Amino acid sequence: MTTAPSFTVNATSVDLSPIPESERLLDTLRWRLGLKGTKEGCRTGNCGACTVLVDRASVLSCLTLAHEVAGSEVTTIEGLAAEDVGARIMQSFADEGASQCGYCTPGFVMALASLLHERGAAGDLAGFEEDLQGNLCRCTGYVSIRRAAQRAREAVR
Amino acid sequence: MAPFDLVHPRSTDEALAELRTASPEGVAVLAGGTDLLLDIDRARIAPRRVVSLRYLPWKFLEWSGDSLTIGSTLPLRALEVEPRIRQRIPGLWEAVRAVGSVALRHRATLGGNLVRSAPTSDLSPILLALDAEVEVVGPHGSRWTPVDAFLSDSRRPRLAFGELVRAVRIPEARPSAYHWQRVRPVNDISQVGVAVARSPSEGYYRIAVGDVLPRPVRILPAEEALRSRPPTDDEVRSAAELAGKLSPFATDRRGTEEYRRHIVAVLARRALLAIRTAAPRGPAP
Ligand SMILES: Cc1cc2nc3c(=O)[nH]c(=O)nc-3n(C[C@H](O)[C@H](O)[C@H](O)COP(=O)(O)OP(=O)(O)OC[C@H]3O[C@@H](n4cnc5c(N)ncnc54)[C@H](O)[C@@H]3O)c2cc1C
Ligand code: FES
Ligand code: FES
Repeated sequence: MTTAPSFTVNATSVDLSPIPESERLLDTLRWRLGLKGTKEGCRTGNCGACTVLVDRASVLSCLTLAHEVAGSEVTTIEGLAAEDVGARIMQSFADEGASQCGYCTPGFVMALASLLHERGAAGDLAGFEEDLQGNLCRCTGYVSIRRAAQRAREAVR
Repeated sequence: MAPFDLVHPRSTDEALAELRTASPEGVAVLAGGTDLLLDIDRARIAPRRVVSLRYLPWKFLEWSGDSLTIGSTLPLRALEVEPRIRQRIPGLWEAVRAVGSVALRHRATLGGNLVRSAPTSDLSPILLALDAEVEVVGPHGSRWTPVDAFLSDSRRPRLAFGELVRAVRIPEARPSAYHWQRVRPVNDISQVGVAVARSPSEGYYRIAVGDVLPRPVRILPAEEALRSRPPTDDEVRSAAELAGKLSPFATDRRGTEEYRRHIVAVLARRALLAIRTAAPRGPAP
């Protein structure tokens, strides 16, 4: 069936015409709402490029149905810049040169935002870096991304 | 991907009624969707109707003294960020952390993992070591089954069509550990997984091994080798060797049988040493 889901994206309630109930949130965001900052990498949950926030927690939009987030607040990379945490993370990525081709960057930024929302700068560093291992990058070798994550974490402390 | 209708029952009765009106091939149950949506994408199944458990009141975590009951649809991440689980059932915490990424665990559930019953599950071994029980609800009410009986040898759980898993109970918080080996630390399937636990009330040990066929199992002779309280170094060594020798491993593209036997003995020894003298931690809630 096609029905119109109701949720907010980046603090604005979306006004969608009916969409298939089997549609992935990733496709709704990119192709119906034109929010192409959210990337499709693998479509199997393995790369993290499609990470968005649902009620401030990171989720893989390729493995989430749009209709399953009805009533929730979705945040994409386009909306995160307006938030203090988002702006700090993005600045840290820029300062550390942690983005090369940039395809993985929105996913990393969203994953990091979720961690910082969840526990601020608390928690041990090893756990913190482990918690970013679900995002793949084929360019940077991760060193600059780890530095950017660390910098962002200090910035919200 | 074949389209389907998505329904959102609001109660257990409504959910069971949805299943009653459908045929087994025509309907599927959705919790976090991390296994189900891939199965549909890969055309392993083609349900016309998908029943979402999202609005069922099953996302709970309940301590009762030393026993913990976990709602089947609670996202795994909630287990990870609950400090009492890390303190009092550390093996469960380690096993949950071994499943995919944080973003995956924000949706993936314990119920989905159990019903999926993958031989490679990182959660089944620790649930075996903790003597966990599964609550199944169906048209005839509710029943509790030991995880060992729930996991069958056919790669499908003992769950009849029309039944749902409502909760999982861990009867006793135990010093425990889960150690695994894989090529990549995250989003890779474990080559072996070893779960160990010690009952603080009775003193006995449980040793369960995953990534074996057709399903994770306890290795009873290895458990029995741990006779002394606490077990001696020699007993720990022979228990670990028995776990390596007796696990029903096979060779596949992720590792040879020989490699797995070796690694499991190493991991079992480390895991047993980690819990041998650990006191049951944390105050009773
Ligand atoms: C990238 C990736 C990495 C992964 N890594 C790991 C890993 O390291 N270790 C590991 O063990 N697993 C891993 N998994 C597998 C998966 O994430 C887990 O099995 C997860 O716990 C399944 O839970 P879910 O809620 O998403 O299940 P769903 O996909 O919603 O459901 C799975 C199955 O169970 C049924 N079901 C779900 N809930 C119930 C219920 N309450 N009652 C009856 N039937 C039900 C569904 O119909 C379906 O058949 C990974 C998956 C992906 C995509
Ligand atoms: S596209 Fe979703 S995890 Fe890769
Ligand atoms: S910057 Fe290119 S994939 Fe990460």
